[in-house]
Amino acid sequence: MSVTTAPVAGSIGATRRKRTKVPVLVIVALTWILGIILVALLADYLRPYGITTLDLRSRLQPPAGFGGTVRHLFGTDELGRDVTSRLVVSIRISLMIAIGATVIAAVFGTTMGFLAAHFRGWVEQFVLMLIDFQASMPFLILALSVLAFFGNALGLFVVLMGLYGWERHARISRGLAIAANAQGYAAAVRQLGAKPLRIYLGHVLPNIASTLIVSATLSFPEVVLLESGLSFLGLGVQPPMTSLGNMVGYGREYLTRAPWILLAPSTVIVLTTLSVSLVGDWLRDRLDPTLS
Amino acid sequence: MLRYLALRLARAALTIVLVVTFAFVVLRLSGDPALIIMSPEAPEEAIQAFRHAWGLDQPIWIQYIDYFTAIAQGDLGVSFRDGRPALQLVAERIPATLILTIPALLLKICVGIPAGIHAALHRNSTTDRLVMAAAVAGFTVPSFVLGLLLVLLFAVQLGWLPSGGQESWRSMILPVITLGFGGAGVLARFTRSAMLEVLGQPYIRTALAKGVPWHRVVRGHALPNAAIPTVTVVGFMVGSLIAGAVVVESVFSWPGVGRLLVVSVSNRDLAVVQCILLLVASTMVVSNLIVDLLYGVLDPRLRAGASGGH
Repeated sequence: MSVTTAPVAGSIGATRRKRTKVPVLVIVALTWILGIILVALLADYLRPYGITTLDLRSRLQPPAGFGGTVRHLFGTDELGRDVTSRLVVSIRISLMIAIGATVIAAVFGTTMGFLAAHFRGWVEQFVLMLIDFQASMPFLILALSVLAFFGNALGLFVVLMGLYGWERHARISRGLAIAANAQGYAAAVRQLGAKPLRIYLGHVLPNIASTLIVSATLSFPEVVLLESGLSFLGLGVQPPMTSLGNMVGYGREYLTRAPWILLAPSTVIVLTTLSVSLVGDWLRDRLDPTLS
Repeated sequence: MLRYLALRLARAALTIVLVVTFAFVVLRLSGDPALIIMSPEAPEEAIQAFRHAWGLDQPIWIQYIDYFTAIAQGDLGVSFRDGRPALQLVAERIPATLILTIPALLLKICVGIPAGIHAALHRNSTTDRLVMAAAVAGFTVPSFVLGLLLVLLFAVQLGWLPSGGQESWRSMILPVITLGFGGAGVLARFTRSAMLEVLGQPYIRTALAKGVPWHRVVRGHALPNAAIPTVTVVGFMVGSLIAGAVVVESVFSWPGVGRLLVVSVSNRDLAVVQCILLLVASTMVVSNLIVDLLYGVLDPRLRAGASGGH
C-alpha cells in the first residue's frame, strides 16, 4: 500500500514524456478492440440468423473453406445453429457483462477508497480489512459460493463480477486521495467552503482519473476471463442466452467432430484479452509508469 | 518479533471470522433453506420439523453463535444430496486435486522464477522478449482454452495422451501442463519486475562500485531482495493448492475438489460448498501467515515490529 507517492513521480514522468510513435502491436490491438466493439453494437444487424434458429438439414457443418458453405461462414453446431450468429451475439453479451462489471468495480472501489481517505480512523481500518479479505481469497471460490447460495440471474451475475477487482481501485484511490488532500489545491477548495462531495468529485477525481482508467483497463481482461470461465463451467450466463465462455463449454462436447464450434469463441476471447492487456500496458507506461 | 507474530495471528483469525460470517450471511440471505431443500408443496409440519432440526427457528444471533460453535467443533454439516458429512466428502477428493496441483506448483516455480531472473539479467535480449511474450500468453489465454487446445492436439489429433479421466500417470500430463503454464507466466513476469526494481537500487551500484563481482552482487544482494515480492506470489499459489484447479479439473473430468465444487454449486448442495469455502479460506490464511513469517526471516527490518510489507 505504498501508492501514496504515485502522483508526484507520475507527473514528473508526464512532463518529460516524449512524443513517441505508437507501437504497431498497440495499433493492431486497438483496431481489434474497435472491431469487437462495433460487432457488439451492430450485433443485431450483423448476425445472419437468430441464435436459436435451427437448420436441421445442415447440422455440424464445417466453416466455409473447410468443406462448408458461405451460408454458414463459421459452420453450424449439433442443432444446426449458425456459429457466426451465435458468436456475434456472444461477443455482445460477454462485452456488456465485462464493461458493466468493470464500471461497477471502479465506482464501488473508488467510493470506498475516498471514504477511507476522508474519514480515516475506523472507517479506513474497516475498508482496509475488506481489501485485505478480498485480496487474500481466490475470487472464483467466493463467486461460486454466492452463485450456489443465490442461484443465477443475469443481474446478480453482473454485480458479482463487479465485485471483482474493486479492492485494487479502492487501494489506489485511497492512496491518491490521501496524497491529494495534502496538496494545495484540495486545501484551497476546502478553505473556500466546498463540501467534501464537491472536493472529491469535482477536484480530486479528475486529477487521479488517468490512473484509475489505467487500472480499470488492466482489470478488464481479468473480468472477461472470469466471466468466460464461469460460463464455461455452466454457472455463468445461462442458455438460451449465449456468451463466449458458454459457447466454448458447449463446443467441448463436439471437440472431436466439430472443433470449430469451440475454436471461434476461443480465438475471440484470447485476442480480446490480449489486445486489452497490450493497450493497458501501453497506457500505463505512458500515463503512469509508477503503477504496476 | 513477538508483537509482529501476535499482529499477524490476530489478522489471520480475523480473516477466518470474516469468511465464516460471509458464509453465514450469504446462507441466510439466500432464502429459507427449508423451502429450497423441500418442495414448496411439502406439508407445513415437515417444514417446521426441518427448521427445528437445523435450528432455523432460533433468533438470528443464536443461529450465528451456534454456527460458529458447530464449525469450531469440526461439524460442517451434511450434504443435502448425499446424506454424508460434507467434510468427509471433500476430504476424499483432496488427494486427487493435490496430485495435480503440487506438480503444477513445482512446474511454475522451476520454470517461472529462473525464467524471470534470466529475463531481468538479460534485459531486452531475445530471451527476455520470448519470456515476456510467453508470460503475456500465460496471462491472457484462459486455462480452459489452453486445456482444450492441448486435448485437441495431443489426444484427438496425435492420440499420444488420454483426453481426461484418471487412469494412469499419463492422464496427469495435460492437466499439469495446463495448470502450470499460466502460473509460470505470472511468476516469471513478477520475478522479472522484482529483479529489475532491485537491480536499479543504489546499494547494487555501491556494491559494484566497491568491486564486488557481478555474479556475487546478483546472488548476495539482488536475489535475496527480489525474493520478498516473489514469495508473496508463491504463497498465494500454495494457498490455492486445494481449489486452484476448478476449471482445469472440469476440462479433464478429474475427480478432485474443484469438480466437486462445480457439481455442488449447480446442485446447490450448500453444506459442501460452504465446507470447501472454509477449507480454501483456512489454507489461504495459513499460507499467508507462513509468508508473513518468512518475511521476518527474509527482511530483518520487519522483525523490529514495524507493520507493512505486502
